[in-house]
Amino acid sequence: MNLLANTSALLGKELRTEFRSRELLTTTIVFVLLVVVLFSFTFDPSATESRRFGPGLLWLAFLFAASLMLQSCFLREQNNDTLGALRLAVADPFAIFLAKLSANTLFLFLTELLMIPVFTVLYNVPLLAVLPQLAFVLFLGSFGLAVTGTALSAVSAQARMRELMLPLLLLPLLTPLLIASTEATAALFDVKPALRWDWVAILAAFDVVFLTAVWLFGEYLLEE
Amino acid sequence: MTRIAVAALTVCALIGISTYAAFYVAPTEQTMGLVQRIFYLHAPCGMTALFAFFVSFIGCIGYLLKRESKWDWLAVASAETGIAFCTVVLLTGPIWAHPAWGVWWAWDARLTSTLVLWLLYISYLVLRNMVEDPNRRAQICAFYGIFAFLDVPLVYGSIWWWRTQHPQPVVFTSGGLDPTMRKVFYLSWFALMCLMALLICQRYQLEKTREEVEVLKREVENA
Amino acid sequence: MKNLGSVFAAYMIGWAVFFLFSVSIARRTRTLREEIERLNARLKDLVKQGK
Repeated sequence: MNLLANTSALLGKELRTEFRSRELLTTTIVFVLLVVVLFSFTFDPSATESRRFGPGLLWLAFLFAASLMLQSCFLREQNNDTLGALRLAVADPFAIFLAKLSANTLFLFLTELLMIPVFTVLYNVPLLAVLPQLAFVLFLGSFGLAVTGTALSAVSAQARMRELMLPLLLLPLLTPLLIASTEATAALFDVKPALRWDWVAILAAFDVVFLTAVWLFGEYLLEE
Repeated sequence: MTRIAVAALTVCALIGISTYAAFYVAPTEQTMGLVQRIFYLHAPCGMTALFAFFVSFIGCIGYLLKRESKWDWLAVASAETGIAFCTVVLLTGPIWAHPAWGVWWAWDARLTSTLVLWLLYISYLVLRNMVEDPNRRAQICAFYGIFAFLDVPLVYGSIWWWRTQHPQPVVFTSGGLDPTMRKVFYLSWFALMCLMALLICQRYQLEKTREEVEVLKREVENA
Repeated sequence: MKNLGSVFAAYMIGWAVFFLFSVSIARRTRTLREEIERLNARLKDLVKQGK
């Protein structure tokens, strides 16, 4: 399939660009680490309190990190004037979006996975037993963040005050994702952990709806 | 008399009648008493706001498919009107909540969803101010407008489910509506929908006039 | 009548929001209409000068 071939080629480019310098990944990881540590000063980080507030704090940290990290996504293309070349290189502009959002999903997912042991140690919440289910929820959440964030990065790149515009546009939109991920994560942090399929369903619905929207309307964002 | 003036007078009359009905025709609710009458303004405003945002959604899709400015004008006119209706919901909610339950704000499903909706569409308006070129503005705002409306069912669904999991005693509706209450409710809703249509028309005209100014400015520059 | 004040306040605030919104649109429209008249007059002058 041409779409798949184009997407993997572009995805390769995105990953090579990032892993050459690793600056986006490192700054994002450090940012989330900072937020996770600072949160400990806002409440008493005992095990019970951490189970209650931990999921929400974690996901807020991921949300803020994403809205900062995703700014460079299309800004980089705009600053280097490479968007025109990209559009000429592929027949379907959706390939560009797909490649970028796949790369962003990967970066976000990696960041979140790295944060889990840090959170376990700092807040005394054992998570090893639920790691597969937690990874599943983190992946769905990261995908939703990446889909909406990548699309809105293309939107805010064309507006003034783009550093503020991306969070402003993204955060209200992510309300369902925040609620669903936090609830699903909270259920896994619980003393009797369980994977909540109702919240997973809402997360999946969020991902599908916005991926479809990007597929249908994304090309209009990349027009000159 | 112009058509607009007739329409405006009709809407005012409808609003007057529905307000009278809300105060005098609808029976007093048993548990909450008099303060429950705010329901006849609060709830229909919420539904009308949703309808206005739906019209905005249609405008956004229309613009992306047809590339005619009138769709963009419709999108922004209905978005602003929707925000006005949301604002009324958010203001009447606390005025109802405080005498009824002693709190100014309760994270009740409908009120919380309306707050998120309000924030979403305020962001839409901020975005509109951040792009100079009218065509580019119309294009990217159409995209964001579509995203925003697609989020609406997800927002309502997730917040409703979240509130179902963590219930609280504050409920902004009457349980089962008495037939007279139902009639007053639908009358209020009808009046508000007519008001919505009028406001959208008025706001649409503003955008159309703005375009006329731009055209004239270009003509003056060329002359 | 308990809470009549609250009901009254709610309705007044509600209608005030719609009224203010409508007035703000009308004001902006009037400013633009004045701008149109000004531009039309300027255009007429320029056409006369051109001739």
